[in-house]
Amino acid sequence: MSENILEIKGLNKYFGTTHANKNIDFSVKKGEIKGLIGENGSGKSTLLSQIAGLYPRDSGRMLLNGREYDPQSPIDANNCGISMVMQELGVVGTLPAGVNIFLGRTGQFTRNGIVNLKALNKAAAEQFAKWDLPKVPLNELTDGMMIETRKIIELARALSVDPQLLLLDEITQSLSMNNRNRLYDLLKRLKAMGRSVIVITHDVEELIQITDSITVLRDGAVVGEVLSAKTSPDEIKRMMVGREISGEYYRADMKPDYRDKVVLSVKNLLVENEIEDVSFDVHEGEILGLCGLSDSGIHAVGKAIYGLTRRSGGTVHLVAKGLDIKNSTMALKNNMAYVPKDRDNEALMINASILDNLSLPSLSELQGKFGYIAPRKTKRLASDMTKKLSIKCTDINQTVNTLSGGNKQKVNLGRWLAKDLKLLILDCPTRGVDVGVKAYIYSLMKELKKEGIAIILISDELPEVLGMADRLIVMKGGRVAGIIRRDEDFTEHSVIGVMI
Amino acid sequence: MNKTRISFADIIPFAVFIVIFLFFEIASGGKMLSPFNLSTILEQSLITIVVGCGVLFVVAQGSIDLSVGVNLALSGVVATWAANAAGGVLLVPVALLVALIVGIVNGVIVSKFKVPSFMVTIAMLIGIRGIVNYIQTIIGTQYIPESMTVLREPYIRYPAFVLLLIVMFYLFEFTKIGQYSKAIGENESTAEFIGIPVPRMKIIAFALSGLMVGFGTLFSLTSVGGTSQMMGVFFEIKVAMAIFLGGVLVTGGTSTKLYKVLLGSFSITIIVNGLALIGLSETQYSQSVEGILLLLILYVTIIANKRKNRVRALPDELEKTDLKPDQIITSGS
Repeated sequence: MSENILEIKGLNKYFGTTHANKNIDFSVKKGEIKGLIGENGSGKSTLLSQIAGLYPRDSGRMLLNGREYDPQSPIDANNCGISMVMQELGVVGTLPAGVNIFLGRTGQFTRNGIVNLKALNKAAAEQFAKWDLPKVPLNELTDGMMIETRKIIELARALSVDPQLLLLDEITQSLSMNNRNRLYDLLKRLKAMGRSVIVITHDVEELIQITDSITVLRDGAVVGEVLSAKTSPDEIKRMMVGREISGEYYRADMKPDYRDKVVLSVKNLLVENEIEDVSFDVHEGEILGLCGLSDSGIHAVGKAIYGLTRRSGGTVHLVAKGLDIKNSTMALKNNMAYVPKDRDNEALMINASILDNLSLPSLSELQGKFGYIAPRKTKRLASDMTKKLSIKCTDINQTVNTLSGGNKQKVNLGRWLAKDLKLLILDCPTRGVDVGVKAYIYSLMKELKKEGIAIILISDELPEVLGMADRLIVMKGGRVAGIIRRDEDFTEHSVIGVMI
Repeated sequence: MNKTRISFADIIPFAVFIVIFLFFEIASGGKMLSPFNLSTILEQSLITIVVGCGVLFVVAQGSIDLSVGVNLALSGVVATWAANAAGGVLLVPVALLVALIVGIVNGVIVSKFKVPSFMVTIAMLIGIRGIVNYIQTIIGTQYIPESMTVLREPYIRYPAFVLLLIVMFYLFEFTKIGQYSKAIGENESTAEFIGIPVPRMKIIAFALSGLMVGFGTLFSLTSVGGTSQMMGVFFEIKVAMAIFLGGVLVTGGTSTKLYKVLLGSFSITIIVNGLALIGLSETQYSQSVEGILLLLILYVTIIANKRKNRVRALPDELEKTDLKPDQIITSGS
């Protein structure tokens, strides 16, 4: 067994009364890419966090290279050759990217209490070159950067430790196609170097593709381990949920199916340095997909339509009302909705209650005489939506950050469903949610489509847009590179052809 | 579990209030509860509460208004001067208008130029104090016109106070203005991304803060009888202290409640009043005692909030389900 880099025996972890990890036996071989999968709340992140020294375990043993391993802190783990990229975004926004990479380890660049930023940035740039990561402006604050860029910075930080064992907690979902491929290459390279990696992702197909073996967790316990080469997505899904789940996930029909009436007409949209000359119509009951590589500008389109960024040109025309949408307040007033990609930072009031989060966009509609918002109305709205979306919570006063990722996303979506919508913009709506919630979100989209609501689905997941969209806009370098209808050549292969 | 912890943090300000009340009640040999002293406490808290109710909207948004003291002085000086020069009735509209304008200017600068509110309002504090001093060197200390002393009568003063409280309570707890303000304090990005007019809400909050200063000015002028060099000095600190002592978080948000202003204002007044009752206020170090007491109380409050935050900071997987996985799935399909 000397070839195991990490061995865990009988590990238990409790949070209060919650038994988060039950008697876990788990091992990773040298040069192995190990997958870890399970539903939201199955204990994956908790397990990785203990390996990375974020919290202590309650009982059980960990052996690293055959020797007792008991990290007191992430730095301690780093010193033992273990580093982690966490699920929630973990960069300090008010510091430049370069400093973030050596956060907590700036000592090596410090003389007389002064950090030599030049040397630090040079060392950071070396890390990017060494691991072949996409370039990042090292002197800029990370605050204004996209999620993807911040994730790459975190990855660079983890790699700068030169880890023997790298832990990746749901990193691929934040990356676009091209950078995912870079990550896959990186994993192959680490494997060739004899390094080990543990990967968590909700994407079963991807996991099978990139790993050597997969451990499945359910309810905090290990359900089983399979070799990636000998398993199938269905087997893993079955292990995850403990029963067969139906194959119906995306749409079954292969024909575009929407009404003739145009809901929103976008013409020559221009946002400086982001998008140029973007024009399209969205119809009643249409799901319009938007996909592209990381600099394609698909996310900027969503923001621009909802009036969140300053447009340098073009119009966003809401046909039924004969209005041009100029800012988000107008969009809110006119039955539009926008679900941003960065759920925790941009969408939710994370420390506020489910009630406050659900009712916020509907306050105008709930007003009575003299602007009176009756508490019983907001309560009814919140409990109705909680019931309708089966949000798992003890009651509607619970704070949102105590919910699991999938339930947070349900709150994020649910608050818009309480309104009389005409247009819904979804930016990566299934980021960080498990198969069950994912399936639920798709079924919701189908339902909304039937009601005649126009949906703009922006996504980094190609299978998702291919599975759901009536028409797919493929973007490249901030421009529309092509529009493909569902009954045309609607395959991953043809879309990638247009993308690149 | 989480819910009880939160109310634990909310209980601390109450506990503090009761402890200092009981302490001074016993230390002063029961003088605290005499009818005369109770009305003194109310009188001494009144202006802080009135202005605090306005500042609360700003604090709920995660900002702060440190110009209320100097605004009180400016509107007081200008209104008294106008009332003496051109007719007593002008006192009320001029005081309200001047204070409102200062508030709106604050709001516009904070929202349009995206400057931190404490910097803007500190600049105001310094700049306007200069103007007030200048005006006072010209016109001197002035008294309010005889015709306006009627505002001092209890049958006008207290109903007006209660009415203002009710209106502010309504605005803060039951209207979009209050709800949106709390949302901005929770997460400004969320508010913006949903489509809440954030700049407009900021201007409204500062305007309300200013307007309530105007009412505070009227209460102050009528109780003192006129202006003075010391009008409004350190008042902004007293208001801010009252709000935070009452348990409002510096970051604002949905836990902000109007009753906390009352609680904090009374707590501060009782400390000052209690020290006077037990004969400590004549000593040179009475202010130091006040300061130490306030520090102690803030320390307890902060500890309580830290406990709450620690509970909140637990990771995602904690809220582990007690449902079987297949139930979760079926709920979704």
